[in-house]
Amino acid sequence: MATTLPSIACLGVIGRNNNPLHISIFNSYDPSTTSFRPIRTPLQFSLLLSSTLDVFELRSRAHAATGTGLTGDFGLLHAVDERLAAYGFETNTGVKFVVVVDMRGRRASTTSGVVGEAEGKRSNAAGGGTTAGVGLREGEMRVVFKAMQAAYIRLMQNPFYDPDEHSPVSGPGKKITSRRFGEDMRRIGEGWVPGVASL
Amino acid sequence: MDEYPAGSLDHSVPFLLTLGTSGDITYQSGLSAVLKEQAILIRSELPPLDSDQAHALLRYIQDRDASNLPCNGRDAPKKHRFRVRTAERSILLPPRRARLPDGIDMPSPTAVLHSPYSPLSPISPLYPDGLIDTQWIRKHQDLIPSVLLCFYTLVSDPTLATLNDNKVKTDVNNIRGLLSQSGYKTRLAVVLLSDKISPSGDHVQDRLESLRRGCGIDAKSLFLVPPGDSKEELERMAENMLTTLYTASLEYYRDLGRHSRKKRGRGVAPQPTVPPTSGTSQTLSLAGWNVRYDFKSAIFAEYRQEMDVALRSYEQAYENLLSSELMEVIPSWSPRWNEARFLADVLAVRCLRCLLWNSQHSAAARRWQFHRERIADFLDRRGRGTGNYGWEAWESRWALIMANLIEKASIPDFAPATHKLYLQPEKSVMGERLQPWEFLHHTGYWYRLSAKHMQARRDFAHAIPEDDRRSPSMSPASFVAKSAFAYDTYMCPDPFEEYPLHQGGVDHGRFVVDRLMKARSEFLKREQVRLAAEVSLECARELGLAEEWSGIVKLLRPLWKDLPFRSEGWATIAELLSWNLRAAAVELDDAELVLTIDWELLNQTFQKRPNWEYDITKSLDDIDTESKPIVSIADGQVLPFISATFLFREEEGKAGQNVRTQLAIKSNAHQGSAPVSLSSLYLNFTGCLDRIVIQHEGGAAVQEKKGNTSIYAVQLMSDDAEAEFTDLGATSKSVILRGDADLTLSPGQTLVFNLDIPLREPGETEAQSLVVNLDTEEFDLHHELKFHQTPKTNFWYLSGSTTKRIVRPNPLAIKVLPRPPKLEVKCPVWKDQYYTDETINLEFELTNGEDIEALAKLDATLFGENPPAFTVDIEGHDSQTSSSVRSEESKLIGAPLGTIGSSKTLSIQLGIPPVDRSSQYDLTLKVTYFLPSNPGTPITQTAAFQLNIVNPFEANYDLLPRIHPDPWPSLFDADGVRSAAPDDDVPLAFKGLSQSWCLLTRYASFASEPLRVVDIDVVLSCLPSVRCHAIKHNNLPASGEGRLVEPKTIEEAAFELKAQKASLDERGPSPLDVSLVIKWSRPESSSGQVNSTRLPVPRFNLFGTEPRVLAKVEHVFVMERVVVVLTVFIENASNHLLTFGLTMEPSEDFAFSGAKETSLSLLPVQRRGVEYRLVPFDEEEEGRWVGVGLVVRDKYYQKLLRVVPGGEGVRGTKEGGLEVWVPGGRQREGDGGEEKEG
Repeated sequence: MATTLPSIACLGVIGRNNNPLHISIFNSYDPSTTSFRPIRTPLQFSLLLSSTLDVFELRSRAHAATGTGLTGDFGLLHAVDERLAAYGFETNTGVKFVVVVDMRGRRASTTSGVVGEAEGKRSNAAGGGTTAGVGLREGEMRVVFKAMQAAYIRLMQNPFYDPDEHSPVSGPGKKITSRRFGEDMRRIGEGWVPGVASL
Repeated sequence: MDEYPAGSLDHSVPFLLTLGTSGDITYQSGLSAVLKEQAILIRSELPPLDSDQAHALLRYIQDRDASNLPCNGRDAPKKHRFRVRTAERSILLPPRRARLPDGIDMPSPTAVLHSPYSPLSPISPLYPDGLIDTQWIRKHQDLIPSVLLCFYTLVSDPTLATLNDNKVKTDVNNIRGLLSQSGYKTRLAVVLLSDKISPSGDHVQDRLESLRRGCGIDAKSLFLVPPGDSKEELERMAENMLTTLYTASLEYYRDLGRHSRKKRGRGVAPQPTVPPTSGTSQTLSLAGWNVRYDFKSAIFAEYRQEMDVALRSYEQAYENLLSSELMEVIPSWSPRWNEARFLADVLAVRCLRCLLWNSQHSAAARRWQFHRERIADFLDRRGRGTGNYGWEAWESRWALIMANLIEKASIPDFAPATHKLYLQPEKSVMGERLQPWEFLHHTGYWYRLSAKHMQARRDFAHAIPEDDRRSPSMSPASFVAKSAFAYDTYMCPDPFEEYPLHQGGVDHGRFVVDRLMKARSEFLKREQVRLAAEVSLECARELGLAEEWSGIVKLLRPLWKDLPFRSEGWATIAELLSWNLRAAAVELDDAELVLTIDWELLNQTFQKRPNWEYDITKSLDDIDTESKPIVSIADGQVLPFISATFLFREEEGKAGQNVRTQLAIKSNAHQGSAPVSLSSLYLNFTGCLDRIVIQHEGGAAVQEKKGNTSIYAVQLMSDDAEAEFTDLGATSKSVILRGDADLTLSPGQTLVFNLDIPLREPGETEAQSLVVNLDTEEFDLHHELKFHQTPKTNFWYLSGSTTKRIVRPNPLAIKVLPRPPKLEVKCPVWKDQYYTDETINLEFELTNGEDIEALAKLDATLFGENPPAFTVDIEGHDSQTSSSVRSEESKLIGAPLGTIGSSKTLSIQLGIPPVDRSSQYDLTLKVTYFLPSNPGTPITQTAAFQLNIVNPFEANYDLLPRIHPDPWPSLFDADGVRSAAPDDDVPLAFKGLSQSWCLLTRYASFASEPLRVVDIDVVLSCLPSVRCHAIKHNNLPASGEGRLVEPKTIEEAAFELKAQKASLDERGPSPLDVSLVIKWSRPESSSGQVNSTRLPVPRFNLFGTEPRVLAKVEHVFVMERVVVVLTVFIENASNHLLTFGLTMEPSEDFAFSGAKETSLSLLPVQRRGVEYRLVPFDEEEEGRWVGVGLVVRDKYYQKLLRVVPGGEGVRGTKEGGLEVWVPGGRQREGDGGEEKEG
């Protein structure tokens, strides 16, 4: 039986110039101590988000060559190990959203497993008696990106937010300091469970 | 994979052994000592082949060895896969049945002996309850060939042929006999190599047939290599042979597999030869036997490359192995426990290989994870748990194995060129909920995972208590006993070897670095530079622990230098890099690197390290340097803590002037860091500005200091000395401007320098960079900061607290205009209008405003429609006249003006001759001059004037007929009429008709100012046969000094014209051209220059033969009453006798005397007058016009003739009538006489 469910470990917003605009880190369930704490340090998450830029660049090049990828949804960027995987989305202004999912970040009992039933079957089929977590369907992250984009659009609508200040023509800019945007990210990161329809 | 026993995980490839020729690698049976003495020797009696052909064939076969080929199903079209070994003369085969060891008697004569690899044989390490081990796998892989290929020579010499053939037959039969004795079903094949050209085909066929029959082998196992064939032929033949042998080989393994399945199908556990007497006396259960049989079937299927079959059997074996009947019942202290675990690993690896072979990549990743979970769960329940170094060691190994398997499978989608990081799941699992990790990632990720577990292993190892780390020989026995079961030592050393108390042990760091470097190279291959950097950082941490400093620098320095973490704002990562690199650089005494890093880390963007002394001057305290390091930091190389902005106050400047500029440098250093005392600043420009050097001067006066902002007004001195600062690539300019200021920069402080920079040459100039120099006793540091265009920084410090935004688009640049000419061209008296017909004299003044004298030239151009040639008079030079190049341009070029002294004035006279019509000209004066200080550069001053020339006057004209007082000459007076014959000597005597006219002109001044009109005259021009003269009547003073005429007022002037024809015979009309000449002068003109403006008057016609009626009045006072005497003259200039009727109509206004109706006959050339006296009826005060109904009619033509007024007091009406003036009573009193009114 799956005892853990995926959760969001980190949300990152990266600017047009590959500059970090916002990073939110979330707690993951640690079964050894049965406590909740971030699975990595902020520095490690920074490195992780930065490494996704490689993937964005590779994919953009591939997309440009084939003329695909118009939705901006990059899907799975890569999985850094069996637990953490990064999913990406790029807006047409070059702002990138990265979701780092911890595949075992949530205790199954604490949440009403939306997909628990189906998942149990799959694990059993694979041999049963394992602690392998719930998998993710293709496009499962789309709802998160949609919510992030909505939050970002809300931020852009704020007349005091100057996008040029945050992603100037050259060089890094400021980070997002909006409290509301941070709260939005927190809400999205904490609210997501696999299969959720809207955030 | 290396840690597993050799051969345990290798892909099973059919085994081909050649016998009879020697290869490079000699054959080693590899049998253990115990088995060796029981082994079966198969020996060929014939000498080994040593021909080139035999070697070539052997080499070809060896080259086709498939044991190292990629393990995937895509290359299946290969016709054969063999693992090739070569034996020269003899081979050893393991015994089919193991003898009982000494000391054990056969329990019964009926007891069966078993294979030495079976748990049934007491000599086997598996006896009595082991499952299966590597030995068995190796038996088939290395010891028992599926095909034994024997090389023999086919002797072509007919004398020896039969003998040799018999020898071969004997040898082959011998080998075959030995093989069948051994019990193995190895296929025997023979290859014959002809030594010479075969004599004839039939003969050879017969020999082959005889050989085949004699050896007892079938046709498919006998091969002939014809002699002397080409290499291609040999290869083709060898290829065919291998393909044929491969079929036989597969058949061999199929037989073995069938045998295993048959044994499994029996469903009973065989009994060992000797019942076990030691240990638990337990024998292998039936479930165990099933695992063994399944495993065997799977291996044989793998030999046949039936991977699906193999996978099924492996999975079956795996499930049974981990079932409650097998592993669950093995106690964890038993060596069988680890053997079972090992077998599980082997099964899992072989399963993974089958999955990868079939391109089931996601299934493979899932299978990998599944085995891990399964074992972890198993260990947690039954074993020593997963929280120990043994488990992490296994995890690390498990990830590494996956990396090796993926490499071995050589998946084309993972070729670096595809840039794929992971594979899409195969169709069968698509659409399922997949773990991200189940998308099979490339090996870099697996290596990294392995390294991570290796690090965890070390962490666990370092947590081992000291007691356990002692060597057992030094520990009390009780400890040994206790620790023996406390640690999971599956395929890893005991705690006292893993991490001994004193030294040595497992070098985890090396393993970690090894794997990380492999991961890094994989990431780099796929352009994952940032991830590679992250791995490099992890690697550097390991190297740091191992104190391999140079390795760290080698690894991190390129990243630190090239990667965009800094420019993209990932400060934390850049910082991590810097600190790691600095630590290594300090150890290596790399002063340059340490300084650069320290310089950068002063930036507040980075997190402040607690308990760290931020003072750049102390950076080198722990470093030994041989020479004084000089560090040059280029722009963008580090994230500078000093930001510099530069502004030009103005957008444009002029050469020779100063421009105000402001340089501001701001320290963004950590609060609490030591102030940096810069030695100097170099300000560099592109274009034509000099370099500016601001040097540190401790006591320099601050202009203003407020808060953290200090403003300095820096006085710049030019310094011609060639400075030693050329090392920074600045162009060596001859002039350097120097200034002094206090350059001590505390954290958060802003230094503002106001600079007045002299501009020297024209052109675009842009501030390019600032070089910050820090020269101390220990080191010199130069950092170049380029100025960037950012609208946010365009602030001009007005004072310490107030700034002003400079809104120009590029305040870093200034446009330097050419040096402005200081020589002025002025016209002191310039008028808006000049007039036609006057000589225009213009006076210009050239004032030299330069500091020194100027050598000047003048170009003057008059541009317009047909400009007149003008003359220029220059003091001290001859006057010059312009030339006209084109019709619209009159030009004077290069008139020398000589030298004009400083602040001296030169005046120029420009004379333009009178222009006869109004026009506009553009006058351009261009003065080009040179200064002796810069003789190469011409300086040009241009002045343009617009010259408006207008007509000062306009006039209109009336020509009124008058009655000539003289009587007409009479035709009958011959003397008076006949003129003398024309003669040159005698002037022409005019004896023709005379007429009198009055020319009335009204003229107005259109000038912008009053003009003095001196005289008005007319110029008459008529035919020579007419003489004409004028008498002028104007209101100008007679003194001749004229009268000022105000603009736009109308003046009148009248002229009395008298004209007379020369001859009476000539009476036709004759034209008269009149021009009005107004002589005038400007009132202010002292010279009294009088200009005459000539206004042409439209042409008049005098005379004519048509009859003319003229009327004139006179006023006569008779008895206090006015009597108007109206005289009508009728002139007949024709040659006809004309009769006119005159009718005077009575009027209510007056009474008249004279003929009321009369007729008048006129001879040719006659004038007659008729007089009427009119007496007005009522006297009035005012004078008035009274209409007179006088009609003159040509009786012959019945044509009315118009009565034309011929003097004052008569006027015509519009209707053709006539009016006369009747003066009023008042006028009569005033004048009392004849009156004339107009």
